[in-house]
Amino acid sequence: MMQSAPFNYRRIIIWLGRLVLAVIFIYAGLAKMIRWDMHPRPPLGIATSLFALQIDSYQMLPPWASIQVARWLPWAEIAVGLLLLVGWQLRIWSTMVTLIIGGFFVAVLRAYALHLDINCGCFAKPEPLTGLTVLRDGALFLLAVLMTVFAFQEARKPHPWAAAERST
Amino acid sequence: MNRRFALVSVATLSLASLATLISVAAATAQKSAAKKAPPAAARNSSVPAPAQTAITVDGVADIDPAKAFGSRNAPVIMEIFSDFQCPACRQLFITTTQRVMDNYVNNNKVFVVHRDFPLPMHAYSRVAASYARAAAHVGKGDAVEMALFQNQEKWEMSGDVKGTVAAVLTPAEMKKVQALVDGKTLEPLIDKDRQLAMAVPVNQTPTSIIHTRDGQSYPVVGYVSFDVLKTLLDQLTK
Repeated sequence: MMQSAPFNYRRIIIWLGRLVLAVIFIYAGLAKMIRWDMHPRPPLGIATSLFALQIDSYQMLPPWASIQVARWLPWAEIAVGLLLLVGWQLRIWSTMVTLIIGGFFVAVLRAYALHLDINCGCFAKPEPLTGLTVLRDGALFLLAVLMTVFAFQEARKPHPWAAAERST
Repeated sequence: MNRRFALVSVATLSLASLATLISVAAATAQKSAAKKAPPAAARNSSVPAPAQTAITVDGVADIDPAKAFGSRNAPVIMEIFSDFQCPACRQLFITTTQRVMDNYVNNNKVFVVHRDFPLPMHAYSRVAASYARAAAHVGKGDAVEMALFQNQEKWEMSGDVKGTVAAVLTPAEMKKVQALVDGKTLEPLIDKDRQLAMAVPVNQTPTSIIHTRDGQSYPVVGYVSFDVLKTLLDQLTK
């Protein structure tokens, strides 16, 4: 049976991916609900409506879908971020993160290509959507893809420490 | 193969970190630039006094009454910064703003303020703003704004703003409008709107800023549909 080293580059990428993406997801989810950028901070209902307006400005979804996505996405981002940190069922949650970031990347790329003068809405605060936003989301998407691919590859190989325990 | 994967991985991580750092730095720089914007009184000092008296409603200053709609006692004020030549502004005006007027302004729930923010990249938007402002001051603002937005694609090709405006006015009204445009007496009001937009700062058109009576302001950038905007307005006006 194949056995991998305890610290190969794949594991490093998985760890970094988990850490970076988990922090970004948890921060993004909380920022959309709490709105640190606003003083005084708006109640959750208003923060949700403001996020729905940001989603709506992408002109990708019908109004009812923008409202539902705004209602559930921040919670999903926090939950998936925490699950990534914990590392439980990593293949499932890394796939989920990849799909979510893939969705963000497509939305941002489409808005940029259509020259929509809108805010990104990525971290709730007013942040104009620019080429840099596309680059950032593209890089994060690539990181998520690598993390997921490596998570599947590593799952096929027993961890050397676990293998050592079994043999003793 | 493994080395290639390692290289791709390292490059991806570097790119992600770099892009995140740059975007955070850009956002911080933008925020500090916004903080450095002079206060309303200071930023208006360079503009000559307008021909008409501007009003202040609930802390929202420099409102041209001819470009404002609804009750001044409404619980919400919606300032809309737009450019007559911008397609998203057209979409917002024709669909969303009209429904806001019907459902909230006519019920005294929202006070709408139209602000002109003609962008320098649009050749005729300033001329269109001048005609629309003049028409508003002769009581024909609604008709002219609608005509300008509905025929946006035509006049932005031909440059015939005047003809578009004349088509919806009587000769007598057009004469008054033309006199106001030629006299440039209302230009300071447009300049004032532009300066307000720069101070907010408004980076894109359309940008709507929704003010509540308790002093909170919520910026809404780009075209948004009425049904989604309604979820916010309902909470703020109940």
